[in-house]
Amino acid sequence: MHTPLIGVSPEIIKIRELIDHVADTGLNIVITGETGVGKEVVSRVLYQQSPRNNKPFIKVNCAALPDGLLESELYGYEQGAFTGAEKKKKGKFELAHKGVLFLDEIGDMSLPLQAKLLHVLQSGEFAPLGSEREIKADTWVIAATNHDLAEKISDKTFRADLYYRLNIIKIYIPPLRERPEDILELVNFYTDEFITQFSNKNIKKLDNNTIDAFLSYHWPGNVRQLQNTLKRILILGNGKEIIEELKRGDTDFPDSSKSNIIKNTSRLSNTIIPSYNFDEEATDLSNFSLKEIRKKALDKIERDAILFILNKTNWNRSKASKILQISYKTLLYKITELNIEQPSAINE
Amino acid sequence: MNKQAKLLIIDDSDVIVEMLYQFLKSKNYDLVSASNGLDGIKLFNADADGFDLVITDIVMPNISGVGVISILKNKRPNLPIIAITGFGEHPESLAAEAHADVVLEKPIDLNILNQHISDLIRNSSTYQSEVK
Repeated sequence: MHTPLIGVSPEIIKIRELIDHVADTGLNIVITGETGVGKEVVSRVLYQQSPRNNKPFIKVNCAALPDGLLESELYGYEQGAFTGAEKKKKGKFELAHKGVLFLDEIGDMSLPLQAKLLHVLQSGEFAPLGSEREIKADTWVIAATNHDLAEKISDKTFRADLYYRLNIIKIYIPPLRERPEDILELVNFYTDEFITQFSNKNIKKLDNNTIDAFLSYHWPGNVRQLQNTLKRILILGNGKEIIEELKRGDTDFPDSSKSNIIKNTSRLSNTIIPSYNFDEEATDLSNFSLKEIRKKALDKIERDAILFILNKTNWNRSKASKILQISYKTLLYKITELNIEQPSAINE
Repeated sequence: MNKQAKLLIIDDSDVIVEMLYQFLKSKNYDLVSASNGLDGIKLFNADADGFDLVITDIVMPNISGVGVISILKNKRPNLPIIAITGFGEHPESLAAEAHADVVLEKPIDLNILNQHISDLIRNSSTYQSEVK
């Protein structure tokens, strides 16, 4: 059972209506919107409402894998196609035959892979790496991106012909700040969900003060951030502090900063260097410990770096530990120690 | 035989809709218009057998013209559809692949458009009577 599309805003109502009209068509779809708005939720609702709902739904994050790996993931390979290809492997296109292939972060796909994808969409056929045999697959492609693809076309980083072929149906999900009437609906839905999920009848619904803070906050990380914030308040119980942050509007949630970190590696260095505002007027310096400051700074840098790589690998901890050059066990320890939360949308 | 033919015009440009509306009204067509693909499909569904021909733009919000053509042709394979595009060859070839009967590039010559409409409606009604 997957999350339904929650909301009462005209925008969400319109999206539901659009889904009703196109879910049975098998026409290519591009879902756009900021990080955390629910693009995967919409793709799953489309799938659930389609006649393909008893066939596979396969998700591939095009930004998480290097080019060669993404190509072999999508199209598969023959035994001996490259060093390390010990056994033949089916690609996701083939595995999603008669079902849905959800290509997340399509805007990050390289131009050579875009060319190959275009060929597959035009012909319905592809050859696994190292094979001359073309395989036919009836795969419904639903793509998603938080990039402006039209802008990427003018930058020549996205092919116009692929854009038109994918963009037969466009579903744009506006950010949560543009549809505040959905906030309460989302809060109620996820509160009930957490009560069920954690089998905890003692979870109290949000009080009016908290709801006001939720309604006036701008939610840069959108629904995913709201979901995580709510979970932290309801389950972990550190509500007061979070509500104050929401009211100040300076909440730094991993989810809201994450998308920006992913987009631009060069911005990582700006993001991870913590800034301290030392109080020039302070007279009590008894707690001013360089050791403590050093530890906090290192923790923050480590936390940001680990989160950055986890997001890059779509939370594949094994891959992340290899990239970070630490053991798998150390990574798990660090995730717990540094309180790094996995966004609930990434659960595969 | 002299029944007014009913046309559905789908285009997100008010200027184009207005121009087509004025011109085709003067040619005595019964006209319905929509500003995006979804609204066009909803209007079509409300009277699916009533429309004699559809004119659709290709690049539009939500359901593109290519999507509109595929969905409508799936419902009524012999429904005549004219696609209008101003955005280069990719959408044009897609419109043809989606089985648009005629693809016209903007700026359109209204007299040529009118000729296509008359031909398509005539052929379609000949086909319909042959089927009967």
